[in-house]
Amino acid sequence: MSAETPGVPVAEDLFEQGADGVGLIGTRCAGCGAHYFPVSLSCRNPVCDDKRTVRTTLGRTGTLYSWTVQHYRPPALYRADEWEPYAVGLVEVPEGLRVLAKLIGRDTDALEVGMPVRLVTSPLYTDADGRRVDTYAYEITGDGIGAGGGSGSPGPASSTDGPRA
Amino acid sequence: MTGVYVLGVAAHPWGKWPDKPQLQLAIEALTAAADDAGLPLRDLDGLVAASSRFEGGLGWGLHANEVLQAVSESGAQAINVGGGCAAGGIAIHTAASLIASGECEVVAALGAERMPKGFIPRPPGQPDDVTDTDYLRWVAIGATNPAYWAIEARRRMYDHGTTPETLALASVTMHEHAAANPLARYRKRITVEDVLASPRVADPLHLMEICAVSDGSAALILGSEAAARRRGGPLVRVAGSAVASGRFGDPAVRIPTVSMASDGDATHTSEVAGAVLRAQAAAGIGPKDVDVLEMADNSAWHVLAWPESFGFAEPGESDRLLQDGEYGIGGRLPINPSGGFLSFGEATTAQGVLQVCELAWQLRREAGERQVPGASVGQSAVLGLGANGASVVLTA
Repeated sequence: MSAETPGVPVAEDLFEQGADGVGLIGTRCAGCGAHYFPVSLSCRNPVCDDKRTVRTTLGRTGTLYSWTVQHYRPPALYRADEWEPYAVGLVEVPEGLRVLAKLIGRDTDALEVGMPVRLVTSPLYTDADGRRVDTYAYEITGDGIGAGGGSGSPGPASSTDGPRA
Repeated sequence: MTGVYVLGVAAHPWGKWPDKPQLQLAIEALTAAADDAGLPLRDLDGLVAASSRFEGGLGWGLHANEVLQAVSESGAQAINVGGGCAAGGIAIHTAASLIASGECEVVAALGAERMPKGFIPRPPGQPDDVTDTDYLRWVAIGATNPAYWAIEARRRMYDHGTTPETLALASVTMHEHAAANPLARYRKRITVEDVLASPRVADPLHLMEICAVSDGSAALILGSEAAARRRGGPLVRVAGSAVASGRFGDPAVRIPTVSMASDGDATHTSEVAGAVLRAQAAAGIGPKDVDVLEMADNSAWHVLAWPESFGFAEPGESDRLLQDGEYGIGGRLPINPSGGFLSFGEATTAQGVLQVCELAWQLRREAGERQVPGASVGQSAVLGLGANGASVVLTA
């Protein structure tokens, strides 16, 4: 089923689709500039006293930070007309966040860290009224940056990659 | 301020116990711990329950007052603490604080859990909208808990060259430990090949590389130094305990969130790292002083990543330490002689209590075949849903 005709979003205030593509609906703190997805009730930055959050869209593009392939069907709260193992990715977006999302557009065994992605909508299921229900997803648009460091050396890191400890 | 000591410990074996209600599991552990302490239950000044969301307590989960009502209506103070899987550690910290302040002489911390089968579902009572990411992660992504750990594991493979065999070895090591623990759920020794042949749950993690939800209960009775000297036997001291929450900018892929910072400078899993450091500071020790670590290994990835995040190893060093046997009994830092979540089994809120029971057995030299030689300083580390961390340091 084509995702080009807008369907019903799986949740209100989650993403929006306009002439310039799909954007995630989040918030930005007018005080410290931190971004949040989904919309936040306040700003979580402890050194920020302003905490005036404003609605924004974010995450239109990014790069693949990591992923998994789920081999078991999730509990019933996840509704899908058809189910087969699918990839869930963590995508680094320009707003200082990594976003969890379904991944589409590439075989699950061909995924690589660093692959460029763009935000799209993806059909989940048909509801009781016959409407197509969409979620947000990231579509792989290019190749990755190899299999990583190996032998203990850190892989090629993006500017926001920090050491773990 | 008085010193705080372990008077008694006990745990019900982990497993699936369909014929025992949670309350019965709780009573059995509490009664056995009181026996171990040589005290009647009426001598408890307080009972702190690590509250579960799965069963019991008239819908509030394990409740200290319900337990006292069932087994000893002594009028003792009943305190219930939440904190997801960290609740057990928070209960111990609370009990220790009641004694350290001088308010109480003897206090028990208790955890008891019966878990639903399979993937842990979303709790009831939350709104079906974007303000609840535990709703969102299910409806929009279908992200199971193992998916979160798997994403961390996949990234570790990229960052540090961790292999599927090394991840499997982490599970093998935990099963090796559990094989010597009569309380553990899975006591069969396994091989790397066994792990890699088990069903894939969320790549790169296999079934034998994620924790198995279980039923179980554990109780710990703490007391003042005077109470500990009356009990006799080896003095095991709660040298430090701490609770911490997460820090802004933590990059952990934290259940059940759907986004996290990529540009922050907080330590990975900062809530547990913070608790570990605070407990060490309270005890006046550093990571090199710890002889045995009981930590929440929800997946094989945790066995590798957590010691690094908490200062026990350098980033990327765990793979070699594990391969060299340094995380096994007899190694530089034995991790989870109990068998850990991977092989002892996971009974969420009871786990944080069980961890400290295991440390007490180790420090009293009562751990039998899984005894860590020369263990005199033990530390626990546990993570609760959201961003709760707790840690306890015992010394002997």
